[in-house]
Amino acid sequence: MTEQLSVEHLIGIKGLSKPDIELIFRTADEFKAVINRPIKKVPSLRDITVANLFFENSTRTRLSFELAEKRLSADVVNFSASSSSVKKGETLIDTVNNILAMKVDLVVMRHPDPGAALFLSKQVNTRIINAGDGTHEHPTQALLDAYSMRERLGPNFNGRKVAIVGDITHSRVALSNIYCLKTLGAEVMVCGPSTLIPKHIEALGVKVSNSLDEVLNWCDVANMLRIQLERQGGDQDVAFFPSIREYSAQYGLTLEKLNSLEKEIVVMHPGPINRGVEITSEVADSDQAIILDQVENGLAVRMAVLYLLASQIERN
Amino acid sequence: MRWLIKSATIVDPNSPLNGKKRDILIQNGKISDIKSKISDKKAKEISFPNLHVSPGWVDTRAHFADPGEEYKEGLQNGLDAAAAGGFTHVVSMPDTTPVIDSKGQLEYLLRRSDGHATRLCPAGALSQGSKGKQLAELYDMHCSGAVMFTDGHSTKRTELMRRALEYTKTFGGVVGSLPFDEDLSAKGNMHEGVTSTMNGLKAIPTMAETIRIMRDIELLRYTGGRLHFMLVSSAEGLNLIKRAKKEGLEVTCGVSVHHLMHTDEDLVDFNSNLKVSPPFRSKSDRSALLKAVKDGTVDVICSDHRPEDVEHKKLEFPQANFGIGAIEDSFSVAMTAGVSPEQFVERTAHAGRKLIGLEASAIQKDVEADLTLFDPSLKHEVNKDHISLAYNNPYVGQELTGKVFGVIRGEAAAIR
Repeated sequence: MTEQLSVEHLIGIKGLSKPDIELIFRTADEFKAVINRPIKKVPSLRDITVANLFFENSTRTRLSFELAEKRLSADVVNFSASSSSVKKGETLIDTVNNILAMKVDLVVMRHPDPGAALFLSKQVNTRIINAGDGTHEHPTQALLDAYSMRERLGPNFNGRKVAIVGDITHSRVALSNIYCLKTLGAEVMVCGPSTLIPKHIEALGVKVSNSLDEVLNWCDVANMLRIQLERQGGDQDVAFFPSIREYSAQYGLTLEKLNSLEKEIVVMHPGPINRGVEITSEVADSDQAIILDQVENGLAVRMAVLYLLASQIERN
Repeated sequence: MRWLIKSATIVDPNSPLNGKKRDILIQNGKISDIKSKISDKKAKEISFPNLHVSPGWVDTRAHFADPGEEYKEGLQNGLDAAAAGGFTHVVSMPDTTPVIDSKGQLEYLLRRSDGHATRLCPAGALSQGSKGKQLAELYDMHCSGAVMFTDGHSTKRTELMRRALEYTKTFGGVVGSLPFDEDLSAKGNMHEGVTSTMNGLKAIPTMAETIRIMRDIELLRYTGGRLHFMLVSSAEGLNLIKRAKKEGLEVTCGVSVHHLMHTDEDLVDFNSNLKVSPPFRSKSDRSALLKAVKDGTVDVICSDHRPEDVEHKKLEFPQANFGIGAIEDSFSVAMTAGVSPEQFVERTAHAGRKLIGLEASAIQKDVEADLTLFDPSLKHEVNKDHISLAYNNPYVGQELTGKVFGVIRGEAAAIR
């Protein structure tokens, strides 16, 4: 019997223990070796069918999951709907049960509504991996971020200082990262204009700063989040900041700022990058940035999660 | 019909009989005798262990989704459920389809509800079509039996609120305000606090309530009239109302039984059956509400019954409609939350009647019977067996304290 996760679904980092996260990391180490071999495929999930349900646009997360599933030899089906299924007249439960009736074993879901993955896990009989539920959680992103930090800085997170910069209010990446890093023992500081930082975020055990300079001098790792214009509201809503130009002037990471620091920090970005907004091109392409490592590690981490959840399924 | 209530403890803080055990004989809809022991072989006996009786309760805020969405409840079901919940009077909200904004609509409700043990006391819409633009025919509705005027949702237009207070003053009408600033709570799903942050949900800050309370009190101070804040959810909101009362303004407020029971932390696992508006707030807000029930800052306790069907509730949290439909369990929820039976009777039977202009009710000889029968301390597990069609009853499967046996109002009775 292989080691098992304490959960049946990956709904969020909040439900994971430190041993769970460490198990995912150790499993990802093995798969990272696999994807770097000439034959980058294993037969582990050849009897498993995975459905990728994307109720919200996504290119890279979907691609990463699909590749991870294929590298494990799973059969893969994809379902996309530009908006939530409710608007089409079919409920989420019906949509998923329809797909499950075709004998699908695992569901990977992205959905615009916070709580959608948890809701689904209580209503249908399958294993669910949350690939992002609105502004709630994006657990595999947080796992791959922490995995990438571990790769660069070593396995001990105690006392490690991580800054998360940008739109914290609308970011599932930020929330999952906070849960993950706190569980692993790191210190977290969030940074951005006050309009993009939830009023009660300190209760999650993080520090708050509105100054990028302060944060950069404090941290070992700076995770520069993407500014998602589509989450800043419609024409009728009051925007969270006046312009991209002004945001970038205050919170954009430049090479000048990076070079002015006393120590060398690691720069991360969950992608896709708005070059010149969150970070300049020189920073994105510098040795300190591990953005492409994150992408590669995302594949290994997602393979690990798929493998570990599938290993709980009765398969004889 | 003749009823004999056996060995019931009277709960009525206003009565010299409060706390006393009595037999009560009812003939032709009137209380004909109250004694330590009455024998009457012709009367139908009502006897339950630990039976308590109080003046009939008034629910000052409920929705029956009739006309328009009768599949969610409907008047007949709703009133039967209200009787099973111990209410002899219910104020129904006018936000139906179509909206109750004219005499004709009101008369439909009154005609269709006639003959029930629970009397329907409809609220009329404040504005035409509840659109928040022009006043509805408030005086005409007042003369036809409307007990309060509200749009069922918040009144955004300040000028309309001013005119409503001024206009209703001439005939002593009550304006019902739902203090809720839409601008500050756009698309919000729950109270803005630590739990909403952890859940990544768009949230509704407390100031969405307080800003509106401040506005409406300011208007009331200028116009005079009678203003009722139908639902208050926060300690800050209560403080504002308390100050206005001290000042002598004619302002009252209500709280739902659910707000006495729950806090925002109960939403940590996205239970859409606990998604309500105004949202459940913090622990300290809940304590303040309970304290205000005791000290009288909160005038009335209501069920805020808002039945929904499975299609509108068993959904992703942000997609689900707001509301709880549990009118039958209101009393048990209040008892479990820590309200005393005397407080509950005071805040429903007495303050409820006063709010909507009904005569005070009392348990005494020769008055019309208007009674609720219950046991305040019976612990029971709430089962699925409800009259209400509401899917959104979050208490099913939970143990609650206190049980209602039924109501008697005049010649009509509904006893389980």
